[in-house]
This record gives sequence, C-alpha cells and structure tokens, in this order.
Amino acid sequence: MTTRRIFVSRSLGVAVLGGTMPSFFARAAFAQALPSAGATIDPRNVLVVVQMGGGNDGLNTVVPYGDDDYHRVRPTIALEAAKVLRIDDRIGLNPVMTGLSELYKQGHVAIVQGVGYPNPNRSHFEATQIWETASIDRPSSTGWLGRYLDRSVAGPPAPQNLFNAVALGDTLPSALMAQHVDVPAIGALNQFGLNAGKDPATKTTAGALYDGALPGQSPYLSLIQETSREALHGGDLLKAKIAGYQRAASYPSDPFSQQLALAAQIAGSDIGTKVIFVSIGSFDTHAGQRAQQDRLLGYLSSGLLAFYKDLEAHGCADRVTLMTFSEFGRRVAQNASNGTDHGTAMPLFIAGGKVKGGVYGTHPSLVDLDNGDLRFSTDFRAVYATVLEKWLGRDPAGVIAGSFENLPFV
Amino acid sequence: MRLDTSTDPQVGFRPPGPLDPSTALQTYDGPFGRRQAAHLSRRAGFGPTPQEVDALAGLGMQHAVDSFLHPSVPELDFPDVPDGMFDPKTRVSAPQNWWLDRMLRTRRPLVEKMTLFWHGHFATSYTKVPTYLMVAQINLFRSQALGNFRTLLLSVARDPAMLIWLDNRFNVAAHPNENFAREVMELFALGLGNYSEDDVKDAARAFTGWTVDTHGAAVYKENLHDAGIKTILGRTGPFGSEDVVNLIVAQPVHQRFICRKLLEYFVYSDPEPELVDALAQVYAISGYDLARTVGTVLRSNVFNSSRAYRALPKSPIEFTIGILRYLGVQQIPPDTVTWLRRMGQIPLAPPSVKGWDGGPAWINTATLLARFNFVSKVVSAAPRSDAQTAPPATAMAAAGAAPMLAGGAPPMAAATFATLTPDRIVAQTGGMDAGRIVQLLASGALQDDVTSNVRKTLLDYLNSAGAAAPAPLGPENYQDKIRGALSLVLQLPANQLN
Repeated sequence: MTTRRIFVSRSLGVAVLGGTMPSFFARAAFAQALPSAGATIDPRNVLVVVQMGGGNDGLNTVVPYGDDDYHRVRPTIALEAAKVLRIDDRIGLNPVMTGLSELYKQGHVAIVQGVGYPNPNRSHFEATQIWETASIDRPSSTGWLGRYLDRSVAGPPAPQNLFNAVALGDTLPSALMAQHVDVPAIGALNQFGLNAGKDPATKTTAGALYDGALPGQSPYLSLIQETSREALHGGDLLKAKIAGYQRAASYPSDPFSQQLALAAQIAGSDIGTKVIFVSIGSFDTHAGQRAQQDRLLGYLSSGLLAFYKDLEAHGCADRVTLMTFSEFGRRVAQNASNGTDHGTAMPLFIAGGKVKGGVYGTHPSLVDLDNGDLRFSTDFRAVYATVLEKWLGRDPAGVIAGSFENLPFV
Repeated sequence: MRLDTSTDPQVGFRPPGPLDPSTALQTYDGPFGRRQAAHLSRRAGFGPTPQEVDALAGLGMQHAVDSFLHPSVPELDFPDVPDGMFDPKTRVSAPQNWWLDRMLRTRRPLVEKMTLFWHGHFATSYTKVPTYLMVAQINLFRSQALGNFRTLLLSVARDPAMLIWLDNRFNVAAHPNENFAREVMELFALGLGNYSEDDVKDAARAFTGWTVDTHGAAVYKENLHDAGIKTILGRTGPFGSEDVVNLIVAQPVHQRFICRKLLEYFVYSDPEPELVDALAQVYAISGYDLARTVGTVLRSNVFNSSRAYRALPKSPIEFTIGILRYLGVQQIPPDTVTWLRRMGQIPLAPPSVKGWDGGPAWINTATLLARFNFVSKVVSAAPRSDAQTAPPATAMAAAGAAPMLAGGAPPMAAATFATLTPDRIVAQTGGMDAGRIVQLLASGALQDDVTSNVRKTLLDYLNSAGAAAPAPLGPENYQDKIRGALSLVLQLPANQLN
C-alpha cells in the first residue's frame, strides 16, 4: 500500500511503508494516540472550520466605526457609523451581518480581534499554507487538523471511521492533510455514490477491480486505487449514517449555506466526525470591495444563523463549535480602485452553544501601523491551541509548534 | 538563485528509478509501438481513438511527433468566437463548450493542449472577467501556444482579460496596484523566493499605464504611466512593461521555473533538478522558443521512458475528452461542464490565479466518484440500435462492413452519443465471446495495461460467474453487460493515468 499519507512521509525524506498491507493495519502500525488532555470534555464534540478564502477585510467585517481614522483612510468604502450593528461604542458588525449579530446578542459568538502572526506573508498561497499548516518558518506537508487527526483517531483497535473528518468541497484542504488518516472530500451528498446502472454485479465487480496487484510503477497508481475503494464504499455509508437527520432550519440557497446544512447534518448525526471543513471564497477585494464583500458576509451570517438554529433544534448546539479564518486581512487604507490590497491581521469568529460570547483582545490601532498594516495582537496558533485543548480535548503539543496561552472563549 | 518548489503539491510523486541527466533529453531511438504512440497522443493531445494509435505507431517516433508539432493536415473550420457569447443564458456555457468542442475534434491537438496549459498557467476566470474577453484570451493563448514565451508574457500583460483579472487597469502612477506585478513574479515567471517585495513594487510601477477602455480594448495611457527610475531584479532604469518582461525572461531562475512546469505537464511530477536544468538550457538557447522546447521533450529518452509512462494523473479535461474520443462521440454532450465541475476543473474558471494544483489534488473521493459516474452516464447513453428487435449477431453482420468509430460525422442528433455501442463491439469481436470482448476493451482503451487478475474479473463479470443468478453473456443481457464492462474498464486506475 502506498497512499497520500506515505507520500507525505516520502516527501519529508522518510521512507515509511511499503508492501501490500491492508490500510487499517498500516494505520495501526503508526498510531500515535495521546492521552486526552481534558476528561470533562464531551467526546462527541465537533469542530467546524470555515475558510474565508482570498483574504477577508477585517475592518469592514468588525468595523471600528467609532474611530475617526477608519473613516479618514477609507473615504469611499468605510461603512456608515449609523448603519453598523453595534457591539459597543467603538466597534460593530457590518450591517449585512444581522444573523451573526443575533447570535452574538444571544451570547453564542466570540470575536477574537487582531489575529495574525509575526512577519506576515502577503501571498495568498503561502499565507493560506501558513494558516492551514500552522507552520510559519518552513513548509509542512501536514495540516494542523491533519496532525490532530493523526494523534487522536489513527490506530487500533478498530478499523478507522472513514468520516473522522470531512472536507465539504471538491478538493481536500492542506489543513486536513494527515500522515495516517484519509479524509474524504465531498462536493455534494447527492453525488457521493457510484451510479452503477441496473446490474448490481457491476458495483461488486468494481470493488473487486480495485483490490489486488497494480500494473505500472507510478506513485499515483496506489493513491488512485485506494481512493477509488473509499469512493466506492464511502458514499453509501455516509448517506445511510446521516439519513435520519431532518433539517430543522431554513438555509439560504447559496452554495456555502448549503454546505453548512450538510455540515449540520453530519455533526448532528453523531457518527464520530471530529472535524468538518467548509469554505467560502472570493474575499480578494482589490477593486469594488463593498458590493462583493457585503454579499459574501451576508452569506456567512445568514448561513451561520440557520446552522445554529438547526443544531439547536436537534439539541446539538452545545457540542458543535464553528470557527472562521482567512489567510490575511487587508491593508488599512483603501486603494484607488475602491478596494483594499493584501494586509495582515483580522478578526476571527467562534460560534457555538458552549462558546463564551464576547470580544477577546483589543481592536488593533489604525495609527500605529507596521508598514501600512495592522499589528497583530493574538497569534492564530493560540486560537488553534485553545480549540484543540479546550474543545477537542487534545494536547496541542505535536500539533502546534511552540507554546501559546489559551484564550478563555470556550 | 534557487527554485522554490515547497508549495508544489506534486513534490513526492516523482516516479521511482534513476535518471541519466546526460542522455535524458537526447532523441529516443528505441521501439515505438502502440503503447508509445498512445502515450504521445495522451500527453501531446487529448488521447487517441484506436485507429489513431495504429496510424501513429506506423509513422515512427520522429514523424509521429512531427504530426503534433508541425501538422500538415488542414485544421477544421472552427468558429473564431462562440455563438451565444452575448446571450445572458449562454454567456458562460457557450464559450466553455466552444473550447471543449475544439479539444475534442481539432486536428492540432498539441496547440489545444498548450492552450489549456497557458490557461492554467495565466489562470484567469470568468467569475471576474466578461466571457467575451475570456474567449479573446483563449484565442491569444492558441495563437501563441507554441510561440515565444517572451512575446507571450508581454501579450498577456496587455491582454484585456488579464488587465481586468489582476487589476492592472487600476494600476496608475499616482496609485500603484501591485496585484499583476506580484503574480507575474510569483506565479507566471519566477516563482516564490526569487524576487523581493521591492521588485514587486517597482515592477508594478513599470506596468502602470496599461488599462482597458469602455469597449473592452487594451489601451496605453502615457499620462497614467510612472516614467520614473525603478530598480527591478538588480537593474535600474526608467523601465516599462516590455523592460520588465525582458529582465524576467533573462533570469536563469525563470528559465528553470517555466521548464519545470512544462516537464510536470508533459513528463512526470517533481522532475529532477538536473532534468530541469537541462531543459532550461534548451529553452534559453532557443531564445524562449516553445515549439523547440516542447519538441525536445516529446522526442526525448525521458519522455519515452517507462518512468514517464502513465506517470501522471489525468486532469478532468484530459479524462473526459479522452473518453469521448475513445467512444467516438462527435459533439460535446450538454452536461459535460457539470461533470467537469464535479471532477474539480471548470473550464474558464480555475479556482484561483494559481490555476489548478494538479497531481494528487485531482484525486479524492468526490472527484473520483464524479469520474466514475460520468463514465457510467456516457456509456449508458450510447444508443441501443435495433437490439430489442433483431438478434444482435445478425444486425451486426449487416453493420459489420462499416468501420467502428467512422471518420464521417454522424447525424447531429446522434453526435453526442458514443458510436462504440455494444452492437459495434459484438461486431468487432465477431460474436458474443466474453474473452474477445475483454481483449478488445483492454487493448483499445488501455493498450493492454491491465493485470491478468483484472482480465479474469472482467471475464467473470461478463460470464456472470459467481453471481447469485448466473447468466452467461447472450442476446438477453449483452446490452447491459457490455456497457457495464466498458464502464469498468474506463474507470480503472490505469485509465485515470495519462
């Protein structure tokens, strides 16, 4: 067996496995489960991670409307103070985020201000890699969630649950790249299964074809073979496992909200899933920012409200926590195209029934800047470490390099 | 300067075995049979029909490569722009299908393959750019597909779709916008780690002045250009866009950057640095000539080696067009783009300016299921002919004279269906012989790249061995059984590899 996990090891220069061991034995051989760090944490807890791709402009998300400098440096794209959904007399939410504001007022949303890291990278791809791998100084072929999975669900005694973690979307994000755990990427549930035609033997035969020896020597061949097997069996399994869950909230029709609906169904079905990854894109607002960002924040906010209500109606809101991230915030001053260029720190949202609502950290100064950019006040790895230890009940050591003080939001 | 490959997902997927850098790019003079011919057709084009495999193999390697690089047959009469490009209902689908149709039927497959390469390289998307400008950009890529990279990069810097996509239309002396300059350095020509932030800032100043007018045409406005002194990649002067391009292509690290990407597209993932260096020399000596560079690759020992053979995963477009071509489909089925989306590759809409990651990123449970289900759909849609009313052997005896996958265009109504129907397959094999059917499929679709176990499993399937209600292949079930076997063959891991 050679799989994505083994290639990861190879690319690090370590030959880990060869031969034709069935995959779960191989996984067992590399299990590194650590003792749980928190005995009082519900083992059914689920973390939903929402990627806001493209670099979300934090200043027009959590708006420092009470700061004159905000209006001065953003003459055409600043949000009007009168329309902002106020949190206090300095900051408020973008007016389109009524759903999130409602959840905030109910105490279910934490806002972590000024999240970033030292020497910020302004390339979409490198910055995304940094956030997803939690590795700042050098590239890492495993993601932070992948390393969490390697340390919590890999290994004996039972064969793995294929749905320990699920990426909703057509590609597997780097955050979920693991060495010993395969994570399925699911575009849409109604496409997650093999349409084998009338003859049931076709599907049985397809299963048989993906076992056994491989022709050729390409490293891709075994990756394809193993993924084929999982694709063949995984769809039926997931559909059956979550069939009992009926939506209890009305979700908007945009693709992101529909993905959140599926996330709620998986999280609420209690099938052992620990991590669900969802993404919403196109926050790269170099020009004409207001219309584009407002539309996307509207999806985020309405989708989140439906997601929470859905889980609440199923009695599951207390064991699901959702957190957002984006590869960077944007420059403080607007550009000449009514947009903003790549910047640095931004706020994160953490939402869920057990979340201690409120604002954590202070809003970064708009005057004391680093080369025109916000200075970060909270390291994103502190947010990750908190979620790992306080929500998922795992020691962050080995998952997050370095040591960070937990934040009290959960 | 080094070439930073740290963000390349294909690293780690280099095929096993050693490379001899001194002979890797020398002209291959080994045997050139059906497998080598099909390999060339998959890499330099979108895959062969069974007849094309035989024809190419008969040409020998040099002439076969020439038939891709310098085709002598006239191109078909494709429209320069798609009908329906300005109709709100077909604004996106018409250009997508216009291009897919060209990939399916062109007699210049390498030009189309390079056009697709440049689309992924200078990745621009209709999500931000009007589709008529996307069409113009694809036509630009096609016209310079195998031309000169220096000319191409300069053309791209002045392409309306790109000026909109990366905001250079707003890049003016008073308010520089770095978006285009940064991506030229990071993604289009140099790669991460091979330039400084100051290089980006000053290159952005050099690109000022190029913008788009209200008709969607590129224009240069002298009064918006920053004519001041810039320092870019260690050189200082009052540079403009052409100077930046000239400075970039002369960098050895650029030559390695672009050659590495060509090797990953045509040969295998994560090519050895020695191989990259060798091709970079060819590229530099040729004066950035793409036909010379790609031609060297296609004739080389390393391209024709077993290490390169079926060593890359097919992109969704390669997989889809390859199957349609094998099955004899003459017209893009209307739901093809929907399937491509599920497989992770929407034409004219790469996921970001980085393009498609390719390599292992093509392969996950969702995308493989989409591939499987696309195969089932297109195979089951093939017509049933007279099967219900006439015994197939007789029907086929009548049809037997007609060549399979005939060159002449079938009637339009049937053009989106496969001509490789169960009845044609039975006619080809001369009867309902499961063994000969498996052989025909394994040979025609996969050049016999199947194990004996796979052959036996397929044979058992056709003969219903081991099934609860065994029913050997016969007139009652051959339609479903042969479609099933055809699907199973086209879904095999070997057919996911290019």
